[in-house]
Amino acid sequence: MNTIDPDLLQVMRDVVRSRGLIDRLDQGVDGIRLEGAQWHQLQELGLATLTLPEEHGGSGASWLESAALLREAAAAAAHLPLVETDLLAAWLLREADLPVDDRPRTVAVLDESGHSPLVPWAGEVERIVVLAHADGRRVVADLDPSDVDIEPVASRSGLPRSSVRVTGTVDGTPVDDGTETQILLRGALGRAVQSVGAMERIVELCVEHTTVRVQFGRPLCKFQSVQNLVSDIAAETALARSAVDAAVTDAAITDLAGPSSAFRVAVARSCVGHASSTVIRNAHQVHGAIGTTVEHPLQLLTLPLLDWRNEFGGVRFWDRLLGSTLRATSGSVWELATGATSAEFDKVLMEASR
Amino acid sequence: MPTHTDESAALGTLRQEVREFLMTLPATLRTELGGVDTWLSGWNIDFTRALAERGWIGMTIPREYGGHARTHLERFVVTEELLAAGAPVAAHWIADRQVAPTLLRFGTEEVRREFLPEIAAGRCYFGIGMSEPDSGSDLASVRTKAHRVDGGWTVSGTKLWTSGGHLAHAFIALVRTAPLDASDRHAGLSQLLVRLDDPGVDVRPVISAGGHHHFNEVVLDDVFVPDHRLVGEEGDGWMQVTSELSFERSGPERFLSTMQLFEQAMADPAVAENVADVDSGRQLARLAGLHEMSRAVAGSLQRGEEADVSAALVKVLGTTFEGDLAEWIDQSAGSASGVESRTKSLATRGVIQRPGFTLRGGTNEILRGVIARGLGMR
Ligand SMILES: Cc1cc2nc3c(=O)[nH]c(=O)nc-3n(C[C@H](O)[C@H](O)[C@H](O)COP(=O)(O)OP(=O)(O)OC[C@H]3O[C@@H](n4cnc5c(N)ncnc54)[C@H](O)[C@@H]3O)c2cc1C
Repeated sequence: MNTIDPDLLQVMRDVVRSRGLIDRLDQGVDGIRLEGAQWHQLQELGLATLTLPEEHGGSGASWLESAALLREAAAAAAHLPLVETDLLAAWLLREADLPVDDRPRTVAVLDESGHSPLVPWAGEVERIVVLAHADGRRVVADLDPSDVDIEPVASRSGLPRSSVRVTGTVDGTPVDDGTETQILLRGALGRAVQSVGAMERIVELCVEHTTVRVQFGRPLCKFQSVQNLVSDIAAETALARSAVDAAVTDAAITDLAGPSSAFRVAVARSCVGHASSTVIRNAHQVHGAIGTTVEHPLQLLTLPLLDWRNEFGGVRFWDRLLGSTLRATSGSVWELATGATSAEFDKVLMEASR
Repeated sequence: MPTHTDESAALGTLRQEVREFLMTLPATLRTELGGVDTWLSGWNIDFTRALAERGWIGMTIPREYGGHARTHLERFVVTEELLAAGAPVAAHWIADRQVAPTLLRFGTEEVRREFLPEIAAGRCYFGIGMSEPDSGSDLASVRTKAHRVDGGWTVSGTKLWTSGGHLAHAFIALVRTAPLDASDRHAGLSQLLVRLDDPGVDVRPVISAGGHHHFNEVVLDDVFVPDHRLVGEEGDGWMQVTSELSFERSGPERFLSTMQLFEQAMADPAVAENVADVDSGRQLARLAGLHEMSRAVAGSLQRGEEADVSAALVKVLGTTFEGDLAEWIDQSAGSASGVESRTKSLATRGVIQRPGFTLRGGTNEILRGVIARGLGMR
């Protein structure tokens, strides 16, 4: 149950790898736009709204399939608002019982003044779903981008990011108080999955590069110190993958509403975040100067990692919540680490996102 | 890495059973819990017997050899819980972890009948006879030699770093049965099961820097080993020892040696005030991640897959982690120096044992080489 259909995986891979990394080098210079043609292809294949139930026009797949697609896309540096459209916007509209389709969307979680400082893809998508405050309640509305003020903000990788502002009261459908926390968890897990996809591709690039590049009359991969740098990338990536897989498997069953779902997401985010430090540092080290340039595809993978790890809670945000849980718990560290339930963590998370 | 392995409800129940067992131990045994690095140094025969009675030794040995015919994942859950509790499991550890699977795979029928039921009963303890004074990382260079004689072999040479050799009944020695062939260094090696009370075996203590007698030097002087104690095929020793090492490397002992120190420190107000939540949270996440990773390897052993590379990945990260835990807590407990706290004494043990974590069972440098080979770089 932890693996997905190999044919489906191949279909996903074919779509996202239709352009290779070399064809995407301009992304680093010109920034990243939503590619209409590729989105259309995903829509045709039912991949744009993978986890949306079939009766609402989606594919009714689980987090497992969604994670596979996100990993494949990230590994190909094929950037699309998949997390935003399927895992966030479509989910939120369903929560509010609002109509939904497979147009590209994003979600803006607004503060009381109607502002959200960092909304992914806001300038590129066709609809913006807002989670707003109205009369002391949380409400959801599916807005046209022309109804909101969108101010681009710089990102490290060229991924489109904006500040979004809505003036006036949002006329929306009320939703549960816990919705904001759910958005945080869903986005956090989505980013963790993407990061693992990028890191796994980085391992491949490192092996390739060190096999081809010759210095002192030998390929770099024959030097033990170079092997060590790459082995450490592989080890950190494997740990991150294990932690993320655990959270995704949980999500596939509980849709992130299980007794230890939030804890698992936090663990995944911490492991991914710390792994990214070793992975980025060592990958650039073994690539030498060429890896630091826009002529080389490495930056197409390392720069998004630097964006993703700070979105939906930074590395230290998740670390701190886990640490506060340890401080608050009456049970043992080990029980928490292996726990089937982590009510204490949920409490700490609730307080943090209040 | 192998795919994620879920913990079924049945395994969760087994986990609870072990926790209950530990909580309801008689007082004399309960006070033996809570140590650091106890799978290597916590030798307690009463505890071992109590575990055997519960059927938690030789779990994966088939019933016909006195075992319990359970799965690797069940054994994984039980060992994880014992290690996390700092239980004194050293006496049976090596026999249960690597000797039993090796004998099941390669041992003669006679040897299996002789040793497996005794291992499962918690009455027979083993050491590891791999390293020598001049052969550490370069294990294929071992010089202990076995010559064919009537009905068996005579063995001469010196094994070193034999953990618990002074208390164990036997070990499996890696020996040269054919002269070194410079073009194929891995050929001509074999594994022989040697009883440590056999004539010609001399076990001499090697005292650790912490003052403990844990290591031994085992001098073999024309020791007779009967034919049926040749483990596997003559000349296959290298292949066999490599497969034994993937059992040795993949287990939860590779990240849980200092778990009780972590527990103790988090419950100790004098330490907690020096610990930032971001740091303890990070360690907790790494622990939970390693637990998932290690379980995935157990799942893969269960399916009979090759696990040498994934075991190396777990061991490199796990042994570094358990050492870093000791280091971090020792530094956090530092201001309490002079005060004889339990945290401090566990931390002392942790930082003194730490250098061994990343050496034993193949050093992390050697394991990075195994990973690099798995990646196709060598
Ligand atoms: C606590 C503990 C318990 C042990 N128990 C047992 C036991 O029961 N039975 C047993 O047989 N052995 C046992 N050992 C021995 C252990 O397997 C060896 O210590 C280990 O294989 C390393 O060998 P060495 O100590 O001779 O170090 P060496 O091989 O001399 O290595 C010294 C250093 O050089 C590095 N090095 C060596 N070769 C290379 C290379 N090619 N590339 C890069 N770096 C290299 C090593 O990584 C290490 O850092 C135990 C060791 C410890 C610490």
